[in-house]
Amino acid sequence: MKLAYYPGCVSQSTGKEMDASTRAVCAALGIEIEELADWNCCGATHVSNELVATGLAARNMAQTDLPIMTACSICYSNLRAAEERLKEPEVLAKVNAVLDKKYRGAVIRHALDVMLEALAEGDERIVLPLKGMLVAPYYGCLLTRPAGLYSAEFPVILETLIRRLEAEPVDFRKKTACCGGPIFMPQEKAADDIAFGILSEAKRAGAEVIVTVCPLCHLMLDAKQKILEQKGGEKIGIPVLYVTQLAGIALGLGPEELGLFMNSVSPMEIVEKAYERMSSES
Amino acid sequence: MAKDLDFKREVLRLAGAEVLTCIQCGTCSASCPTASLMNPSIRRLIKLCLEGRKDEALANDTLWLCTSCLLCTVRCPRGIRPKAVVSALKEISGRDEKKSKDASYEELFVKQIEENGRIAELPLTAEFLLVFPQGMVQSMQMGLELLPKGKIGIEIDRIKGRDEVKRIIKELRR
Repeated sequence: MKLAYYPGCVSQSTGKEMDASTRAVCAALGIEIEELADWNCCGATHVSNELVATGLAARNMAQTDLPIMTACSICYSNLRAAEERLKEPEVLAKVNAVLDKKYRGAVIRHALDVMLEALAEGDERIVLPLKGMLVAPYYGCLLTRPAGLYSAEFPVILETLIRRLEAEPVDFRKKTACCGGPIFMPQEKAADDIAFGILSEAKRAGAEVIVTVCPLCHLMLDAKQKILEQKGGEKIGIPVLYVTQLAGIALGLGPEELGLFMNSVSPMEIVEKAYERMSSES
Repeated sequence: MAKDLDFKREVLRLAGAEVLTCIQCGTCSASCPTASLMNPSIRRLIKLCLEGRKDEALANDTLWLCTSCLLCTVRCPRGIRPKAVVSALKEISGRDEKKSKDASYEELFVKQIEENGRIAELPLTAEFLLVFPQGMVQSMQMGLELLPKGKIGIEIDRIKGRDEVKRIIKELRR
């Protein structure tokens, strides 16, 4: 299987471990990826004009004939929304009139779905089954919206992947609630309150680790966790892993490859616990 | 206040004519993660648009409290996209000379894409702080967290297709 990989802007900064773990897991699973040529920003949630947002996505999609994979739910949602809008001939004509390479359709995939497809149940490449690890499946908003492949409110794909890695998904009430990330710069308090609510709920649900599919969710829950603990007056102390990092751990990849030292709340303790559980069983 | 029908038409053009079918049921407001902070609510914002009350629709924080989570859009029983109404109002307010801090953030974001094709978070944050110095504390806190992890991109990554990106932004902004 060969895919074009769209890293997105955060791969160069706050989401470096997302990028590293995506590449490492793809290599381990024999998924051949080729970085999308000269990719541009998808506009995230800050391009209000829909036609402009569609044009930015179309330029990316026109760079390749391969299916496009991204590990960022914001990029994913924007490309998917654009792909949908470009089915309208009028939109397609307007957009293609300004593009160098013309858009001719695209297949957009999230790294989560690509990994799940590549991993069979009881796959022998899972050298460290994450038995007993309690994982909060945090979807956030944009993996499942606009509605399409997955239920927008009751998706299960993350739980499926967590179980395939032999970990245990906890019942997480806020799994598709928003993290507040898109407004954290200009509306700090509103965003912080929302993000703290998610962390607090994950703790109540008994999670040892939270797994995310979006770099902005990750930033809010991991990089901001200490700040949120101070503001919210409650200790959380739950590591937040990208889904590619969690899968990478189960595939026996090392912390350097997976960028585990880049996480703010260190996940090393839960990784060690997983190794201990395995060695005590065997 | 006189009805501004041009404003109403512009909202409908940008957000879709189905906005006219709104029954004011409030599902959007009930779904919104920041509803408790909004005044007017998203439901009422849609009503203001349909009544052509431009000044009231634009002069509040409701637009800028939208996190783009799309739950309203997924749930609307009339198939309206309340998030698209918010985007339309952001687009309209962006045409005004005088801008809120939130509108400035969006403008700086798009300007970076226009100039480089990609976003570099550090220069974006620095430019925003010139407009909104009150954001300094949060930015310093995050900087202290991210810098030792090597997660602050200092270099600006410029793509080859910058002219094409510029054209996309300029020509498609109808």
